[in-house]
Amino acid sequence: MSKVPWMKGVYPALVTPCDKSGEVDEPGFRKLIRHVLPNVDGLVPCGTTGEFNYLTAEEQKRLIEIAVEEAGGKPVIAGAGASGTREAIQLVRNAKEAGATACLIVTPYFLHPSDKGIYQHYYDIATAVDIPIVLYNIPQVTDAYLPRRVVEDLADIPNIVGLKDSSGDLTYTMEVLEFAGDRIDLFVGHDEVVLPALAGGVSGMILASAQVYPEVWQAVFRAVQAGDLAEARRLQRSVQKLSRIFCRYGGGVAVKQALKMMGVDAGQPRQPLKPVGGALLHEDRAEIQMELEKLGKIQAPMTNFQFPQKALAERFGDLELSAGAIRQAGLRLGTGKAGEEPEWVQLDLVAGPKESPLGDAYAYQLTYPLHRREALTTILEPNLTVRPATLILPAVEQRNLRQANMIYGPTQSAVARAIVDALEAGVIPQAAMEEEVMVVLASVDPRALDRHALYHNVRAAMAAAIGQAFGVGG
Amino acid sequence: MGRKTDWFKGIFPALVTPFTQDDRIDEPAYRALIRHVLPHVNGLVPAGTTGEFSYLSIEERKRVIQIAVDEAGGRVPVVAGAGAQSTRETVALTRWAKEAGAVGALVVAPYYLKPSFNEVYEHFERVNEIGLPIILYNIPQCAGTHFRWWTAEGMAKNFENVVGIKDSSGDLPFMEALFEKVKGEVSIFVGHDEVVTAALAAGADGAILASANLIPDLWQKVYQAVQAGDLATAQQWQAEVQKLVRIVVRCGSTQAVKEGLGMMGLPVGNSRHPIVSGGAFRREDREELRSQLEVLGKIGRVEREFDLGHRVVKSQYPAVPRTPARFEGFTLKVGEGFAGPPFQELAHIDLLLGLKEGPVGRAIERALNEERTGHEVRVITERPRTLLVPTVTVRTAKQRRHVYEEAARGVVQAIEAEIGAGVLPEEGLDELCMIANVFVHPAAAIRQRIMFNNYKAMRAAVRKALEGRPALDELIHEKEAARHPFRYAP
Repeated sequence: MSKVPWMKGVYPALVTPCDKSGEVDEPGFRKLIRHVLPNVDGLVPCGTTGEFNYLTAEEQKRLIEIAVEEAGGKPVIAGAGASGTREAIQLVRNAKEAGATACLIVTPYFLHPSDKGIYQHYYDIATAVDIPIVLYNIPQVTDAYLPRRVVEDLADIPNIVGLKDSSGDLTYTMEVLEFAGDRIDLFVGHDEVVLPALAGGVSGMILASAQVYPEVWQAVFRAVQAGDLAEARRLQRSVQKLSRIFCRYGGGVAVKQALKMMGVDAGQPRQPLKPVGGALLHEDRAEIQMELEKLGKIQAPMTNFQFPQKALAERFGDLELSAGAIRQAGLRLGTGKAGEEPEWVQLDLVAGPKESPLGDAYAYQLTYPLHRREALTTILEPNLTVRPATLILPAVEQRNLRQANMIYGPTQSAVARAIVDALEAGVIPQAAMEEEVMVVLASVDPRALDRHALYHNVRAAMAAAIGQAFGVGG
Repeated sequence: MGRKTDWFKGIFPALVTPFTQDDRIDEPAYRALIRHVLPHVNGLVPAGTTGEFSYLSIEERKRVIQIAVDEAGGRVPVVAGAGAQSTRETVALTRWAKEAGAVGALVVAPYYLKPSFNEVYEHFERVNEIGLPIILYNIPQCAGTHFRWWTAEGMAKNFENVVGIKDSSGDLPFMEALFEKVKGEVSIFVGHDEVVTAALAAGADGAILASANLIPDLWQKVYQAVQAGDLATAQQWQAEVQKLVRIVVRCGSTQAVKEGLGMMGLPVGNSRHPIVSGGAFRREDREELRSQLEVLGKIGRVEREFDLGHRVVKSQYPAVPRTPARFEGFTLKVGEGFAGPPFQELAHIDLLLGLKEGPVGRAIERALNEERTGHEVRVITERPRTLLVPTVTVRTAKQRRHVYEEAARGVVQAIEAEIGAGVLPEEGLDELCMIANVFVHPAAAIRQRIMFNNYKAMRAAVRKALEGRPALDELIHEKEAARHPFRYAP
């Protein structure tokens, strides 16, 4: 039984846009809200994603006022939690003055109060200010669960109306539903488990990713309401990787990067968080971009990828090896192709003695990384170099770190594996380990997404190339 | 109540269990190991955690205890690892240890299914009935449960045969609580190699240590120094072994100790699966362990020849059993080194080593005559002539500093260290040259780690290039289980 009618549906945990000097960007915040409003049931300013803990009380109040102004009558659940009760009460008062519908109050953190202290915290807030309160369990940042037995008792307080559970721990969610679900509504706050939580009985969601793809969450919500679990699963699956990146690699930081790619620039997070290169790796930012392209949120740049077409012996111009030089030095050549678009690959292999033009080309490559086509020494994993020593040279420019990652991750480990397999099978003679070097020109489609498929395709293509170069089946 | 025993004090190695190539207990190797440690220790612990008791059959456990008792010959007490998950098996093993002549049994807290405190208490109550002195064994890192002080206190006070407690948690507040409750009645041993001096200084009676297989003599010095009230000496020795023992404790203890013993010329084989070489004991740990054993004088230096083509030079090389008898083929040698953590500051070096008149030397001279925006190359030392190449395009002043100052400093220091160690032959430095292709992550921040990880990576790369590692058998052995960290989606 719900105490309030609005504890349902999809709420975005809004980021707080900041300008270059680190000040709150009010027009940016309005722009963000106008971007999401058509697809959401309400707004949550100044939550964890909104970096509430880096805001002054004045900034927080102003953000809530703006959210209320822009909400067009939709409910505004304002983040107003704090480590201490005294401060939390003041923030809740501010939120009420700013016109908030309700307040989201995080479990008191840093010093770890006892169960009694936690109960007292919420009791004091709820009795001091007459506004609906949503409890907030997020042990990833508070380092403590909001104890179920405390929630069970807090649910008796008339203006405690709900709980947001960001733990992603469905055993906790189910337990709270069991003991307090008759009196308060639950929201899921963990983007990776929205569907199971809804199916388990929560009423809605407050999500960081609900400002990036709110319409997907609306569709999940409707599908579960309609009992169409197959559709809900398909939709959840379509945003699973992005949701995982948002949840685990930087939260609001990652969301700000996604919004920027989508043309809703929310600026940078406040220090000590870094916009990228901290919790959110450059590689993961690039991954966000690929996933947004897949979702149709941003336009994929045109790529006219094609495999090298020239005769095999003429493909090694980057190594300054002409067909004539290759023939004269008696170098081994092989090529292999495997897979289906976009994880299709072609590998062109040249192998030969260290004391040959190939040895010079190998050494020279390591002194002169081609821009966006940096060659790398093939390893099975770090500190496990394969021999004969083999350089992988990407055939096409790596537009970003995620594409580069496709080379130094799946491609590299598959090339390495194929080499060791060939050594074990005797296709590559053991003497070659010491006497020869190899260079692989790797043509990997920049649109490749599926690392697992790519790994297997590269392994097959490399096996074929080795077979041809070392005179087996070629 | 007075102390129940007087024999349980000092340094006890938690002996590894040597295995043969075909995975049977290697008895001669085990005896050799015991003879290696015996002059320096106050007792022996066969079939403990480091002895992989959890991977041994009952028969094998009995056998290693028997051998230890035999080799000890009454000179030092043998405390036999006799713990198991069920009370029934623990009782049987403890009874057997008594019959085999062990002076005591080291009994681990029952693990996997997590019994409650009262169940743990009653487990030991049954073991107590056997009549063999018992050492309670707290190792929450493995067992998944931590004795609480009230459990330990109750067992120490209520069970007449509980004569000691081994605490491997490294949790000094817990140990202090034990001192408060039961010191003087039972012996309290530290089992965490990183905090030995602290624990002994605070009042521990001794230590059961994995690293005491490798450096029993040094631990005996620490113990003696603390006994003599000379904390400064104890602290100094602890500091000298700290890096070595951190690797042992945190990076796959059994395999780490075994590979360390192998490097010292005491071959004891590998750990049993699922522990694998290059697993928890990573390859970068292997390099570091080796260099620490060199520093501590546990790996000696022997003469090696380097065939530079037109002449042969020599050095006193810190060889391990797998080191080639002679170094040749200096046209082009390839090495790779990787060192971390942390992730953003990890170092990855692709290294080429060769003669100046070969492909490496020609590439260096050519590179120096070319313009490279973002990939400026620099000669960072002349002996041997070494070219630093940044893998990633250098775009910012910060990256420039990270590559050309911090990473370069680490690489130069590594080269100096390897000349000092006899790995790079002093007599050949004017003829050799190197290209170090150095990866520094654009988001790296901690300058000290950039420097030091590059130092470690460069040392590993130089040694691997020279020694021709990894060898074919290593590649074939590891190809299936190898897990490239960037092969998977975020």
